[in-house]
Amino acid sequence: MVRAAATQWAVIPMVLAAQATPSEVSQERADFISWLAAAPTSPLRAMVLHPIGPGIRLGPATAEIPLRGVDARVEQRGLSLSLIVAGSPRPLPRDRAVPLGGYQIVAAGRPSQAVLTVFGRDAAAGSHEPSYYPYVNGWQRDVVLTPIDRPQAEPMLAPDGTEVEATEAGTVTISIAGQNASLRVFRIPTAGGEESELEVFFRDGTNGKETYPAGRFVSLLPLGGNRFRLDFNRARNPFCAYNTVYPCPAPWRGNRLTAAVVAGEQYRAPGTTQEH
Amino acid sequence: MYPIIALLLTGLSTTPASPNRLTGAWRAVLDLAGGPLPFSLTIIERDGRLAGSLCNGPSCTDLSGVTAIGDSVALEIADYDARIFITERGDSLVGTYRNVGNRGPRTIPFRASRGTWQTSKGPPTLLGSWDATFITDLRTSPRVFVFRNGTQGLEASLTANSGDYGLFWGRTSSDSFAVAHFDGSFVYLLTGRLDGDTLRGVFHAGLRTQTKWVAVRSTGKPHLKAPTELTRADTSKPFTFAFPDLEGRTVTNADPRFQGKVVVIDVFGTWCPTCHDAAPALESLHRRYRDRGLEVLGIAYEVTGDSATDNRQIRRFRDKFKIPYPLLRGGLNEVEATAATLPQLTGFTAYPTTIFLGRDGKVKEVYAGFRGPATGSQHQKQLDDYDRIVERLLGKL
Repeated sequence: MVRAAATQWAVIPMVLAAQATPSEVSQERADFISWLAAAPTSPLRAMVLHPIGPGIRLGPATAEIPLRGVDARVEQRGLSLSLIVAGSPRPLPRDRAVPLGGYQIVAAGRPSQAVLTVFGRDAAAGSHEPSYYPYVNGWQRDVVLTPIDRPQAEPMLAPDGTEVEATEAGTVTISIAGQNASLRVFRIPTAGGEESELEVFFRDGTNGKETYPAGRFVSLLPLGGNRFRLDFNRARNPFCAYNTVYPCPAPWRGNRLTAAVVAGEQYRAPGTTQEH
Repeated sequence: MYPIIALLLTGLSTTPASPNRLTGAWRAVLDLAGGPLPFSLTIIERDGRLAGSLCNGPSCTDLSGVTAIGDSVALEIADYDARIFITERGDSLVGTYRNVGNRGPRTIPFRASRGTWQTSKGPPTLLGSWDATFITDLRTSPRVFVFRNGTQGLEASLTANSGDYGLFWGRTSSDSFAVAHFDGSFVYLLTGRLDGDTLRGVFHAGLRTQTKWVAVRSTGKPHLKAPTELTRADTSKPFTFAFPDLEGRTVTNADPRFQGKVVVIDVFGTWCPTCHDAAPALESLHRRYRDRGLEVLGIAYEVTGDSATDNRQIRRFRDKFKIPYPLLRGGLNEVEATAATLPQLTGFTAYPTTIFLGRDGKVKEVYAGFRGPATGSQHQKQLDDYDRIVERLLGKL
């Protein structure tokens, strides 16, 4: 069967429907949970996120970021960042983990507003792993993206709390619980390269009860042309839900659903249990 | 078809992959949201160890390792922190391509079956040069596509203002085509269809970024900005630079070896595929013209900022291309950071950027980007331009 699939690709339609299946979504969830558990820069391991400004010190108790066994500075020099250890400076790349003592540091954000995140070896106190509603097929919607006339770039927080130049791509209209709602869609670039995600950051009736109070992100899955699938089973929390070190994106104007979207990622406040 | 594949990927039973059964040629695909991206995977056994390569037609990237992890096997792609995790299922392979970012895992379904792809030739109605326009959120940007038939069937190049994307390879079926470039890091698929005199289609990047495009036959009128129009230089005084070489010695424009010479400076990165395409051209210039007074110099902008790590990558690059001229470490591969170290340039935009200095040490030409061998005649034109510039500058004593 796989062989047949692999040899027939040239004659199948150029644009395939991206059918979401429960097993795909459970695989995505499993991948994400293992990344959270294993990645040196997992949001669960983030200890502190601090603006770099003209420069910050890491290490001593009086430093902006106290870290045991470390004495270093991170400075903005022109448009570049420098990491200075024992008086010796080296360029500090953006969006890339750099080891420092027993920690990892990642600088991100635009030159004028760069921030530094420090990751430890262990999960930070108060951080917690994601939990999800069971997959329900009825929470998928096929939508048409209506582009807006004059897309503008605007700075906003991506799901990981870093500031990016996003572009408003348009709106999609969905029907939930018999009511139509229009949701704004932004194109959020990935670090470098040609890739981007079309994202909807939305709030709904479950926020603050079973899901994260600030809202959740859901990506548009392309079906060809201007058609997309919005699968609320893939709704996910911004990083601020895993660890209070991260800033939360401000809710997107208008993206509020009155219905309860009982699908996708849930949120359990640290130290509480929740039934569902 | 897609749900069946998905079921197979995440099915109930898995067979531990036995490494020696992996050897051979595989027809592989990555299942992007917009369709399958085809490439060839070859695994061989050499000195008791498995090795392999990923190929887009004749253009291949070697795997850096093939290792068993639990009941699957990881095909490792060095430099990009990327892996393809595979499991045997009958006579096929299934798995995922992954590379890891700071924002989460990047995962694309992979599958392969034994054998080699049949060669598919492009029809005359497709072959040749097309002026394309990419359309993202109502904004447009120009590209040039060139399609041709190579030894392994349909090949294509895509060129933007800043250079090309490497070789694309694929096939046609009636009036539609799909060509792909997957080198372990970049995941690009170009699909399209002939619609009268117009080509229309989608450029797929990664799992689900899709950009619509439309293309018409090139008329000969320039569609892209000329590579010499993107980056400007202060030509009023000699071009100054001071960077460490691989031994830590600072090399500057004031060094005696550059005085009175024509100097070609390659602003590059070892991580940049187009820079790999450009290196042989610069080595050739150096070999052919050094006796007449040409010096070539590379300034590398690397990914970590750690001198030991970055120098190791630069040495690998030097050894790969047998580069006899100095390679210096310029700094980080961020456009702003690079531009800050070369303040006499304005509008720095592309790796590689090639700077030509006359015998007076002043900038005479700046080429942004490089049209690699995949671009065919554009590549040859760039090489001819370089020769002509160097000849002209050497002639001026």
